[in-house]
Amino acid sequence: MSVSSQTARRALKRPKGLLLPLALLVVAILAAFVLLPGLIAPHDPIALAMADRLKPPSLTHIFGTDEGGRDVFSRIVYGTRYSLGVAIVIVFASALFGVVYGAVSGMASRGIDNLMMRIVDLFFGFPALVLALAVAASIGRGLDSVALSLAIIWWPGYARLVRGEVLRLRERPHVEAARALGVSEITILRRHIISFVIQEVNVRVTTDIGYALVAVTALSFLGLGANSPTPEWGLLIRDSRSYFGSAWWYLVFPGTMIMLTATAFSLIGDALAARRAA
Amino acid sequence: MILSVRDFSIGFQREGESLVAVDGVSFDVEEGETFVIIGESGSGKSLTGMSVAGLQPPTAFVSGSIRFKDREMLRRPDAELRKMRGPEIGLIYQDPLSSLNPVWPVGDQIAETLTAHGLADRAEARKRAIEMLERVRIPDPHRVAAAYPHEISGGMRQRAMIAMALAAGPSLLIADEPTTALDVTIKAQMLELLAELKREMALTIVLITHDMGVVAEVADRILVLYAGRIAEIGPADAIMLQPSHPYTAALMTSAMISQTPAKQDLNAIVGGAPGLGSFPAGCRFHPRCPRAQHDCLSVEPPRRKFGTVELACHYPIEAAMPLEIARG
Repeated sequence: MSVSSQTARRALKRPKGLLLPLALLVVAILAAFVLLPGLIAPHDPIALAMADRLKPPSLTHIFGTDEGGRDVFSRIVYGTRYSLGVAIVIVFASALFGVVYGAVSGMASRGIDNLMMRIVDLFFGFPALVLALAVAASIGRGLDSVALSLAIIWWPGYARLVRGEVLRLRERPHVEAARALGVSEITILRRHIISFVIQEVNVRVTTDIGYALVAVTALSFLGLGANSPTPEWGLLIRDSRSYFGSAWWYLVFPGTMIMLTATAFSLIGDALAARRAA
Repeated sequence: MILSVRDFSIGFQREGESLVAVDGVSFDVEEGETFVIIGESGSGKSLTGMSVAGLQPPTAFVSGSIRFKDREMLRRPDAELRKMRGPEIGLIYQDPLSSLNPVWPVGDQIAETLTAHGLADRAEARKRAIEMLERVRIPDPHRVAAAYPHEISGGMRQRAMIAMALAAGPSLLIADEPTTALDVTIKAQMLELLAELKREMALTIVLITHDMGVVAEVADRILVLYAGRIAEIGPADAIMLQPSHPYTAALMTSAMISQTPAKQDLNAIVGGAPGLGSFPAGCRFHPRCPRAQHDCLSVEPPRRKFGTVELACHYPIEAAMPLEIARG
């Protein structure tokens, strides 16, 4: 792996001007949505109000209403917990498992390392959609089966990343020096290797939250994820398709939220990567 | 005798072929002395030093015996070797910046030596780390203990490394090229510090170097390695003042660069040290040796006594004609 070319690529991607502050603002707003939806959302996200169905954006319903008369903005606010929440759970669970797995593989003897990495290859080779269908078929549709199937295909990326870093780091002089002082392999791993790996993992986690969000909403959109009336973003878009000709707001606002969120996490990840490379 | 190395060899497998890097080396290190292993890169000096602490590369095969305080170090389980590193054998390396973990304060890293061996709890280890920093003559130990490696100077870092290596109170210190990365004034301070610590802490030091200046400064006894074999071994005075092996003599003259008049050519040794796998037959130094005769090409010189030193050479330099011969 050529470090310099990687550095160059990252340096090119460093967000310029106001992009990073804007991305941070988006994430701050999302955090507010997740933590205090009741304070922000003006209406109930679930209760039907058939008199108000498919109203265009106005002062009472800034993002308009859906076919059940529910406020789209409120549904988006409440939906953040589902869409982004599940994405975060997937990425954190994958990262946690992948770090442990990759670290063990990187420190293990050659034979065990080889075996563990072939298992990773197996998971890598599995198509996400097929796996999601299989999981949905066996444990039922819902966000939990989305989370499970995405986590299953997500962790191998972390396992590979961490194993590679561990292999690189464990030959570093400071690790050898620690070994020369009789520090145990576990402590070396914990103090002298993982502390570096974590920085690399942080970058990946931040970027991946955006990707995982897109994956979660995509699976919901395909009907494999959240069930009505959960205000999950992908499901909002799925439900909005029938009304696109007459109610553009119903499709556009959830779609824009997904795009903004994914872009914001991606930009912050790039900024972290650029700072690491600098 | 604290360390006894007998017929020690270490080598590697490469493409089905065995490459022997150190070949049948034997020597003893007495308690309390400074024993210097000197040689060019590729002579096997570092491999020998690392093997004493059980830190030879895992892919290497070894034979012979290395006994530290009457305990065999080769083929000893890793877990037991680990327990000895720190409390019994300390190591310092060439490059203190990369040998210190950049993300932890220096004091924590010194303390780690103690906590790793259960010699102290965290608070106690912190206190002892500061004492160790004082001991290696760092003027402001509290500040340095809280500093990260990049925040202190190269000399400070090397002192911190020494503090780390000695924190758990070893009796043997292996210093692998400890002064190579340092400039000349710091180098002198460091050697002086090592000499003082040796007295204060009753250390035995095995110093690995290619720098004749370092040897002259501190050595009690010297082992000269060439291409994985012993060229000469004996008291430092005898070897420095009157080298008998042509290789040692050549090393001495080439080290006298500073005393060579500007107009005169430098006394470099002709040719380069042979690489692993291409060691010549007979005496391994013969292609570069000004005294080589016919039998040097095919007959390996046995190790024999020659005055106060032992050496492996068919035609050693007689006491009557020091140095000159090596200039060819």
